[in-house]
Amino acid sequence: MHIASVLIRRLLNAVGLLAAVLVLCFTLIHLAPGDPAEVIAGEMGGATQEMMAEIRAQYGLDQPFHVQLFSYLGNVAQGDLGFSFYFDRPVTELIIDRLGATLLLVVSALLLAIFLGTFLGVVAARNPNGLISHFVTVLALFGYAAPVFWTAIILLILFASVIPIFPASGGMYDITGPDDPLSRILDIAHHMVLPVITLSTIYLAFYSRLARASMLDVLGSDYIRTARAKGLAEVVVVYKHALRNAVLPVVTFAGLQFAQLMSGAVLVEAVYSWPGLGTLAFESLLRRDTPTLLGILFFSSMVVIVANLLTDIAYRLIDPRIRSGAK
Amino acid sequence: MTSFSKIARATAAAALVLGMAWQAQAAEPKKGGTLTLLTSQVPRHFNPAVQSGTATGRPGTQIFATLLRFDEGWEPQPYLAESWSWSDDNLSMTVKLRAGARFHDGHPITSKDVRFSIETVKANHPFKTMFGAVESVETPDDLTAVIKLSQPHPALELAMSSALLPIIPEHIYAKLEEGQSAKNHPMNATPVGSGPFKFVEYKQGEYIVLERNDDYFLPGLPYLDRIVYKIVRDSSQRVITMEQGEADFYTEVESINIRRLEKADNLIVSDHGGEAIGPITWLAFNTKRAPFDNPKVRQAIAYAVDRNFIIKALQRGVSKAATGPIAPSSPFYSADVETYDIDLDKANALLDEAGLKPNGDGIRLAASIDYLPALPEQQKNIAEYLKPQLKKIGIDLTVRNAPDFPTWAKRVSGHDFDMTMDLVFNWGDPVIGVHRTYICDNIIKGVIWSNTQQYCNPKVDAALEMAGKEPDLAKRKALYAEFQKTVAQDLPIYWLDVVPYTHVHSKKLVNPPLGIWADMHPLDKVGFAE
Amino acid sequence: MSDAAREFEQKLRVESPAREAWRMFISNNSAIVGLAIFTLIILTTFVGPLVYTIDPFELVWAPLTPPGEEGWLLGTDYLGRDLVAGLLIGGQSTLAVGAAAAIITITIGITVGALAGYYRGWVDEALMRVTEFFQVLPPLLLAMVLVMLFEPSLTTIAFAIGVVSWTSAARLTRAEFMRIRELEYVKAARSISASNARIIWRVILPNAAPPLIVSAALSVGTAILFEAGLSFLGLSDANVMSWGKLIGDNRPAILAAWWPVTFPGIAIFLTVLAVSLIGDGLNDALNPKLRRR
Repeated sequence: MHIASVLIRRLLNAVGLLAAVLVLCFTLIHLAPGDPAEVIAGEMGGATQEMMAEIRAQYGLDQPFHVQLFSYLGNVAQGDLGFSFYFDRPVTELIIDRLGATLLLVVSALLLAIFLGTFLGVVAARNPNGLISHFVTVLALFGYAAPVFWTAIILLILFASVIPIFPASGGMYDITGPDDPLSRILDIAHHMVLPVITLSTIYLAFYSRLARASMLDVLGSDYIRTARAKGLAEVVVVYKHALRNAVLPVVTFAGLQFAQLMSGAVLVEAVYSWPGLGTLAFESLLRRDTPTLLGILFFSSMVVIVANLLTDIAYRLIDPRIRSGAK
Repeated sequence: MTSFSKIARATAAAALVLGMAWQAQAAEPKKGGTLTLLTSQVPRHFNPAVQSGTATGRPGTQIFATLLRFDEGWEPQPYLAESWSWSDDNLSMTVKLRAGARFHDGHPITSKDVRFSIETVKANHPFKTMFGAVESVETPDDLTAVIKLSQPHPALELAMSSALLPIIPEHIYAKLEEGQSAKNHPMNATPVGSGPFKFVEYKQGEYIVLERNDDYFLPGLPYLDRIVYKIVRDSSQRVITMEQGEADFYTEVESINIRRLEKADNLIVSDHGGEAIGPITWLAFNTKRAPFDNPKVRQAIAYAVDRNFIIKALQRGVSKAATGPIAPSSPFYSADVETYDIDLDKANALLDEAGLKPNGDGIRLAASIDYLPALPEQQKNIAEYLKPQLKKIGIDLTVRNAPDFPTWAKRVSGHDFDMTMDLVFNWGDPVIGVHRTYICDNIIKGVIWSNTQQYCNPKVDAALEMAGKEPDLAKRKALYAEFQKTVAQDLPIYWLDVVPYTHVHSKKLVNPPLGIWADMHPLDKVGFAE
Repeated sequence: MSDAAREFEQKLRVESPAREAWRMFISNNSAIVGLAIFTLIILTTFVGPLVYTIDPFELVWAPLTPPGEEGWLLGTDYLGRDLVAGLLIGGQSTLAVGAAAAIITITIGITVGALAGYYRGWVDEALMRVTEFFQVLPPLLLAMVLVMLFEPSLTTIAFAIGVVSWTSAARLTRAEFMRIRELEYVKAARSISASNARIIWRVILPNAAPPLIVSAALSVGTAILFEAGLSFLGLSDANVMSWGKLIGDNRPAILAAWWPVTFPGIAIFLTVLAVSLIGDGLNDALNPKLRRR
C-alpha cells in the first residue's frame, strides 16, 4: 500500500478520533459535581452569590449544555482552544509552557527503557538459563511490579535527602542559578535524572523481555543458521542481523505505549514536582478547568496518534515482508 | 487610634514583647541576596483586590502597598498612609498619604487611587463586611482621603493592611475594554503596584520571581534584590527542600514534619507569627436535618469526640485547642464556654434522652461525615478517627469521599450533608471572618462558607450586630463573650483546634516575617546576615 | 521389556495439549515460585483475618508506632491503626478490585476483539475506531474522571480500571480470531453452516484462549497497580481498607515513618510479581513458539 494513501486515511481517522475525544470528555467533565465558580470561591475563602453568578456568566457556564459544547467545538475547529477558567490565559499558552517538559520526560524515559531494556534482553538471550538472565528478569520485574510513585518516593528520599546528590525541590531547573544556555542545560539534565529513571522502570521489564524473546526466536531460526554457516564472526551475527529483526516488535509497541507513559508521567511529575502536562491535567480536573483539561487531552491524543503513525511508517520501512506488498 | 488596637496591644502584650525582643536581637541585614520561599498553592493571578486567599496574598503584598501595616503587634504602623485620624463620632477617618510615592510605572499615588481601590475591593471582595460600612470616600486634595462610614466600624484599620486593601493604580484599571472588569483585567497577571518588589515572571505552577523596587517610597529598603516563590506541591518534598537549604522560608502545618524540622541544624522553627489569621478546624452539623436538629444529639457527639486526643496524639501536641468561634489569639476570645470534654457516659445518656435507642447490634444511628480535601491532618484524619470513636456511642459513621474541592463544596453549600469537617479563618477582626458563619441571613444555598449549618438564633444575630459597630472595646468584648457562650450552648458547630501555622526559616535570615500576618506582609525589612 | 524399550514407549505416547502445558508450567521454576507466592498471599489475606481478628479501622495504639514496638509487628499507621490488620483486610479489597477489574477488562476486550476479528468488514472498522479511541486517551486521566464522576468506591474504581484497560486484550483477541478464522477446521465449520455464535464460542475461542489467559493473568497485576495509583492521587474508598489506601494515606508522613508506606508497597510488589511470573509461565507453557530453548 502506498504510504501516501495510508497517511491520508490515518489523518481523516485522526480528526474523527480527536472530535470524539473532545465530545466525550467535555460531557464527562460537565457531569462531575461542582464547577469552577466553586473552586474560585474556595480559593478566595468564600464568595457571595452574586460573585459566583458573575463567574459563571463570565465563562458561559450558565448556558445550556449543548450550547457550551457546540461553542467549544466550533472554537477548536478554528484553532482556538479557549481560555483557562482558572488562569484566564489562553489554553494553548499554558500547554506550550509545559509540553516540552513532559515530552522531554516521556521520550527520555521511553528511550532509556528501550535501549537499556534491549541491551539487558540481548545479554540475557545469549545465555538464557544463566545467572545473568535470571538477574535481568528479576531486576526488570522489580521495576514493573513496584508502583511507580512508590519507587519515585523512595528514590527521591534516597538520593535527595539521605545521599543528597540530586535536587530536593524538584522542578526542571533552578531559577536562582546561572542562566547561560550551557549551565541551564546541565541543570535540566541534573533535575531530569531521577524522574526519567523512575518513569523508565515501568517499561524496562517489558522491553528486556521483548528483546530477549525476539532474540531467542531469531537466534534459533534458519536465517541465523545460514549466516553462521557463511562464517561471519559471531558478534556480527548476533548484533547486526538478529538485532535488526528483533527491533521490529520494539518499534511497534513504543508508539502504543505513549498514552500509558503519559499516565505514568502524572504520578512521577507529582512526586518530583516536574512541571509537565501530567500535573497540569490532574489539577485542571480538580479545578474543573475544562478548557485546559480538554486542551491537554487533545494534545496528548495528537501526540499518541502521531507517534503511532510514525511507528507504523517505520515498521513498514523496516520490515521487508510488508514493504513488498504482501499483507 | 481606635480602642480596638489600644486594648488589643494590651492583651497581646506577650506577643508584642516577644516581637520587640526579637527585633532587638536582629542586626541590620546586608544589602542584596535572593530570598526563596516555598508555597504549595498555585495562584491564579496577583491582584489581591479582586482575589482573596494566600496564594495571591503572599506575592500580592510585595507588589502592592497598603495604607497601614501591622508588624509584630496589633498596633497599626504608617505605610502608604503617613498619618491618619478619626472624627469624634467615629464615622469618619481621614488619611494623609506620603508625598512622592509612585507606582512601579512612575505614576504618582494620589487619594483618587485610594478611593478607587476601596471601591474596587468593596465591589469584588467576598468579605462584604470589610468595607460594607463605607459610604463614600472624599478626596479634598491629592494626598488626603476622607472615608465616610454609615456606622462605627472598628475593623476598618485592620482591613487596611496585608492583602485586604492593596492600593491599585486607577489609571490602569479604569481603562476597560469590552467585557473587561477589574476581575479579569489582563494586568492582573503582570501587575503594577507600589510595593517593595516588582513583578518579573510567573512560570505557571512552578515559580514566581519578583525584583527589588529601587524607587520604593521607604528609603533604604528593601534589603533583598530578589524574591522567588517556589511552588512545591508535595509536603515531604517541601521538608527536604528546606533541610537541604534550597529555600529560606515557608509555613508548615503538618505536625509530623514540624517535629522533624525542629531537629534540623540550619533551620529555626517558630510558632508565633500569623496571629491575625485565626484558622479553626471544626466539626459542623447540618442543623436542619434530623436527628442533628436536636441539640442533645449534637452535644452527645461533642462529648464523644476527644479533643485532647486529637491534639495530643493525632497532631502531636503541636496545635492548640479551639473552644469556640473566635480563635484564642484574638483579643475577643472568651474561655467561659462549655467545652464538652470527653465523657462517653454523658454522650450515651443524651442520645437515650433524644430517643435514639440502640438496636440489636448496638447501633443507634447511621450517619455520614464529609471533610475538606486539604490538610489531611486537620480534616481527613479526624473524620477517619471519628469512625471508630463514634461507634462507641452507637453511631455507624460512613466517611464520604471528596476527591476534590468542588465536589465537597457543592455538597456542603447545597446543604446535602449530615456532618462535615471544615476549616474557616477568622481574618483578624470577628466582623470579617466570624459573623458570616452564624447569622440568619447568611444562609445562602450554593455559597460555600456561608452559614452552611443553617443555624439561626435571633439572639445571636442581635449580639453580633451590636458588637460589629460598638466602638467601646470593653462593651464589645462583653457582647462577643455572650455570643460565644450562646453558640457553645446551641452547638451548630463543635470547634476542635487552631491550625498550627508554624513558620520555618533559615538561620541566615534576619527579620523573618513573623508578624501577625506572617509573610502576607511586605518583606522590605527582611534580609540575610553577613 | 528392557528399560530402554520402556522409555522409548513412553516417549511415543501422545500427550493432550492441556497436559503438556501443565507439565511445562510445573517444570518452570519461576512460575512455581510465582504460584507459591500468590497462593500464600491469597491464604493470608482471606484466612488470616479469621484468626487475627483486630479491626483495621480501630485505633489500637499511638499513631506511627514503629514496627516491633509494644507488640505491634508491623507498627501502626498515621491514626494509630494496626498495620497487620490493615494489610490482611486491605489485601482482600485490593485483590478483589484487581480480579474484578481484570474480569471487566477481559470481558470487554474479548467481546470487542472477537466480533471485530470474526466479522471483519464494517463491524471491524467500527470496533477498531472505538478501540483506538480508548487507546489514545491516557488511561489514568480517564479513570480519574470516571471515578470522580461516580464517587470513589470499590465498585467504581474497579469499573473505571476495567473500562480503560481493555484495549490490549481486544487487539490480542482480534489478531487471534483473524488468524484462526482462516484455518482449515474453522472453514470446515462455516461450510457446514454452523451458526456464527457456535463457531465463535465452541471453535475459535477455545483455540484463541492461551494468549488470552496470559493476558487475563497479567491484567490482574496491572489493575492492582492502577488501584494503588488512584489511591495515591486521593481517589480511594475511605470506608474500605486497601493497600493503595494505606500508601496514599500515609504518604504525607513518609519522612517520619517509612513502614506504613513500605509494607503495603512490598505487598503490592509481591502480588504483582507473583502474577507476572504466573503469567510468564503460562505464556511459556501455552505458546508453542517459545518452547524451543
